[in-house]
Amino acid sequence: MRDKRMVLFGFVRGAAAIVLALAVGAIFIFLSSDEPFTALRYLLIGPFVSFHGGVTAFNTQNFYQILAAMIPTIFTGLAVCVMFSANQFNLAAEGCVLVGGFVGSLIGIYANIATGWHPVICVLVSAVVCGLIMLIPSVLKVTLGASEMVTSLMLNFVLLYIVLHFLNYHFADRSKGATMTFPFLDSAKIPSLVSGTSKLTWGFVVALIISFLVWVFMYRTRWGYAIRMIGINESFSLYSGMNVGRMIILSSVIGGILSGMGGSLEVLGRYNTFVWRELPGYGWTGVTIAILAKNNPGAVPLAAFFLAYLNKGCQLMSTHSDVPSEMIDIIQAAIFLFFAAEQFLSGFRQKLVVKTTREELVRAESLDAIEGE
Amino acid sequence: MDAHEYVVRMENISKIYPNGIAANREVNFSVREGEIHALIGENGAGKSTLMKILFGMEQPTAGKIYLNDQRITLSSPLQAISLGIGMVHQHFMLVPSLTVAENIVLGMAPTTKSGLFIDYKEAVRLTREYSEMYNLFVEPDARVADIAVGMKQKVEILKALVRGARVLILDEPTAVLTTQETAELFQELKNLKDQGFTIIFISHKLKEIKELTDRITIMRAGRSVGVYETASITEQEISRLMVGRDVVLKMDKPEAVPGERVLCVEDLHYVNEWGKKMLDGVSFSVRQGEIVGIAGVEGNGQRELVDILFGLKLPDSGDAMVDGQSLVGLPQARIRTLGVSYVPEDRMTFGIAQTANIEENVISDRYRHKRFNRGPLFNMKSLHDESDRLIMDYAVLCKSRSQEVGMLSGGNIQKVVVAREFSSDPILIIADQPTRGIDVGATELIRNKLVELSRAGMAVLLVSADLNEVMELSDNLIVMYNGQIAGYFDDGQWDDLMMGEYMLGLKRQSDDEIRRACHA
Ligand SMILES: Nc1ncnc2c1ncn2[C@@H]1O[C@H](COP(=O)(O)OP(=O)(O)OP(=O)(O)O)[C@@H](O)[C@H]1O
Ligand SMILES: [Mg+2]
Repeated sequence: MRDKRMVLFGFVRGAAAIVLALAVGAIFIFLSSDEPFTALRYLLIGPFVSFHGGVTAFNTQNFYQILAAMIPTIFTGLAVCVMFSANQFNLAAEGCVLVGGFVGSLIGIYANIATGWHPVICVLVSAVVCGLIMLIPSVLKVTLGASEMVTSLMLNFVLLYIVLHFLNYHFADRSKGATMTFPFLDSAKIPSLVSGTSKLTWGFVVALIISFLVWVFMYRTRWGYAIRMIGINESFSLYSGMNVGRMIILSSVIGGILSGMGGSLEVLGRYNTFVWRELPGYGWTGVTIAILAKNNPGAVPLAAFFLAYLNKGCQLMSTHSDVPSEMIDIIQAAIFLFFAAEQFLSGFRQKLVVKTTREELVRAESLDAIEGE
Repeated sequence: MDAHEYVVRMENISKIYPNGIAANREVNFSVREGEIHALIGENGAGKSTLMKILFGMEQPTAGKIYLNDQRITLSSPLQAISLGIGMVHQHFMLVPSLTVAENIVLGMAPTTKSGLFIDYKEAVRLTREYSEMYNLFVEPDARVADIAVGMKQKVEILKALVRGARVLILDEPTAVLTTQETAELFQELKNLKDQGFTIIFISHKLKEIKELTDRITIMRAGRSVGVYETASITEQEISRLMVGRDVVLKMDKPEAVPGERVLCVEDLHYVNEWGKKMLDGVSFSVRQGEIVGIAGVEGNGQRELVDILFGLKLPDSGDAMVDGQSLVGLPQARIRTLGVSYVPEDRMTFGIAQTANIEENVISDRYRHKRFNRGPLFNMKSLHDESDRLIMDYAVLCKSRSQEVGMLSGGNIQKVVVAREFSSDPILIIADQPTRGIDVGATELIRNKLVELSRAGMAVLLVSADLNEVMELSDNLIVMYNGQIAGYFDDGQWDDLMMGEYMLGLKRQSDDEIRRACHA
C-alpha cells in the first residue's frame, strides 16, 4: 500500500519536474525571443511532431534520430555509472570512446571477416583495447595512490594525440583532401534497425541489452556488490575482507570496455569512414547521464533519452526560431537542475508518508485492541 | 507544580521519518532549570530523535516546544544554538584533520582583522579560557584524529559551551568512555550543574543514571512512559519500565574448558609516530573455549594491540599468530580467511556502509560464499534468508532488511555489526566494545551469545572500556599498563579495587606470573 503510493509519487514527481523545468525554460524564451510560441513548440514537441503545410504528424525520422543519438551515450553513461559506483572519478570514458571508434574502424577497414561476424569482432576488439587502457589510471591509483581524476583527464589528451598521430601518418587516405581513413568494408557496418537516414542501428538494441546486463552485474553479482560497497565506504569494505584494489581496477576496466563498445558501435553505425579529429564529447555526456540516473544502470536509457530529446528540441529551436544559442544552454541547464533536484516536492512526499503511517498505526492499534479482548 | 519551573517543555511531540517510521508518538518531555535529567529507553525508543528535534536537526511532525515558557519553532541547529541549546551527538561530529581549537571555533571562527583568515591564536586562547573556566582540560593544538575518545567528548562539550549553550544535551556520552573517564566526566557535569547549566543525559547504564541524575524520563517504543525522581526508583524498576521485564545482567556462565591455543601473541613491540612506546613486550595467548578480557585505562596499548591483530598497524618486532600462522603484514582479507572476525571500536567507519541496506551490511564478509551464489549470480533467496535470520537472532529493530543502515538507531547499528561478526563461524573473535550503546535487554542477549560461542569452542578476545563488562564476561583477564601486561588473572577472583591498582600502575605481578598468560 505504501509502496504503491510511493511509486505513483515517483511518476508524479517526474512529470511535475519536467513541467516546472519547462516553465522556467519558457520564461527565458519569452524574455529573449520575438516568436516565443514557435520557439517553444519546437523545443517541446518539435522532436516528435513535424509541422509541414499546416499539417502536424508524428515525425518518425526525428524520433529515430533521437534513439540513434542515445547509442553512444547509453554506453558512456553505463561506463561512468560503474566507475562512479566504486567512487572512482575516472573521466577517461571520453578518450576510450575515441580509441574504441578508431580501433573498430581499423578492423572494419583492414580485416576481412565474414559478414555478420565482422562488426562483432570490431566491437569486441575495441572493448578489449579500451579495457586495457583503463588499467593505466586504475593501477596507478591502486598502487601509487595517484588521483584517477587527474590521470584520466590527462590520459584523454594522450589518447587523442596518439589517435591523431596514427590517423595522420599511418592510416590516412592520401587521395582525400581532408584527413580521414579509407572507407569501412560493407561487411563491417552495423546494420540498420529501420529504413531511412536516421542511423538507428542494431547498436540501439545492443545498448538496451547491455544496460540490463550491467544492472544485473551491479545488483545481482558479488563483484557488483563489492564495487558498490567500496564506493559507499572503502574502510568498511577493506575490513570486511574485500579485495578493494582489485575491485577498483575491475570497475575501471569495465568502464573502459563499455566506452570502447560505445565508440565502435557509433562510428561503424553512423559513418562510412573514421572522421573524428577531436574528443567526441560522449564521455562528458556520460557523466551527466550517470548523475541523472543516480548511478543506477537501469535508469541510464531513460536519462539518455531525456538528454537526447532535450538536445534535439534545442537544436530544432535554434534553427527554426530566433532564440540565441547561448540561451539554449541556459534553458538546458535549468531543465537539468530541476530534474536532478533531490528535495523537489519532498514536502508533499512527507505529507503522504505521515498520512500512510498514521493510518497504519491506527489499524495496528485497533488490531491490538481486538486481540487484547 | 508551576509550568514556569521548566526551562524546556516539549508537548505532544510526534515524529514520522520520511521512511515512514514513527520514532516519537505524542511525547511529553520537560526539564527543570539546573537539573540533570536522564532520558532512557531501549534501542530505537526514540531518544536521539526527540533530542534532535530539540536541537533543531529534525522537524517534528506535530507538537510544540517551549523554552522558558516561550513557544519556539526550531528550523535548524543554528537557531537552537542561538537560543542556548547545545548537543553532543551519539556519533562524534568533529573534523578529524583539524586541531582541537579549530574544531571548537568551527563555523563561528574568530577572524583576523582582514576578515579573511581564521585567527588561530584567538581560537587557541578561547579554547584555553573555556577549558579553564569549566575544568574541561583539552590540548588546543592536538589534531582531533590523534586524541583519545575521552578528550573528544570534552571537545564536543566545549564546542557547545563556547557557543553559549545553557541547556546541554549529551547523547550517550559515556558509551565510549572508560570508568575513569566517566568518573571525570561526571565530576565536570556536576560542576556545570552547580554553575546553573541544565543537562539532558542519555545513557543505557542504569548505575550511571542513579549516580548522576535528578530526574528520569523513560521512553518506550516512541512514547514517554513516565517521569520519576531518580532517588525514588530502583534500577530494577527502571529496567522493567523500559524493557517490560526484569533484566539480569549477572551472567551465570558454565565453566570454561580451554583447548588448543588459537591466538599467540609473542613479544610485541610498537613505538608510535611520536616515539612513545605503546607496546613493550606483550605476550599472551587465547585458547579455544575461553574468553580473555583486556582491561586497562585507555591509551595503555590496547588500541595498538587490536590494530596490529587486525592488520591496521605493523609491529616493530614480535609476532602474532592464529593457528600457527603469522598475521603480521597480512591484508584483512587474508586475516578473515584464517577465521578471525572483528567487532571494531569505530562502528561508523569500519563497521557499516551507511547508505547501504541492512542486508548488504550483514553479508559483507561472506558474500563470496558458495551458499550465496549460483554461478556468477547471487542467490537472492539465500541472501534474504540469511539476513532475515540475523535480524531475528539479534533483535535488530527495523522495518525490513532493505532499510538503510544509517537510518537505524545507534544501538541497532551496533547490533547489525555484532550480528555479522558473531555469525561468520570464526575461530577467533576480537570484540572491541561489543555492547557499546546497546540497551540493557540487548546487552544481555549479546553477552549470552558471546559466552555461548566461546563454550562452543571459539576463542574470544574481549577489549572493553566497560570494566564491569570485562570482569563479568572474562574467564581470564589481562590488565595492561604502559604498553605492558601488568597482571594476568585466571582465578576469577577480581574486583574493581584490585583492577584499579593494576590499571593505574600501582601494582604489577612478577614476570613469572605474567608469563602464565602465554599458556606455554
Ligand atoms: N534519519 C532517520 N531516518 C529514518 N528513520 C530513522 C532515522 N533516524 C532514526 N530513525 C528510526 O527512528 C527510530 C528511533 O531512533 P532513535 O535514533 O531516536 O533511537 P534511540 O532511542 O536513540 O536508540 P539508541 O539507544 O539505539 O541510540 C528507530 O526505529 C530508527 O530506525
Ligand atoms: Mg540514539
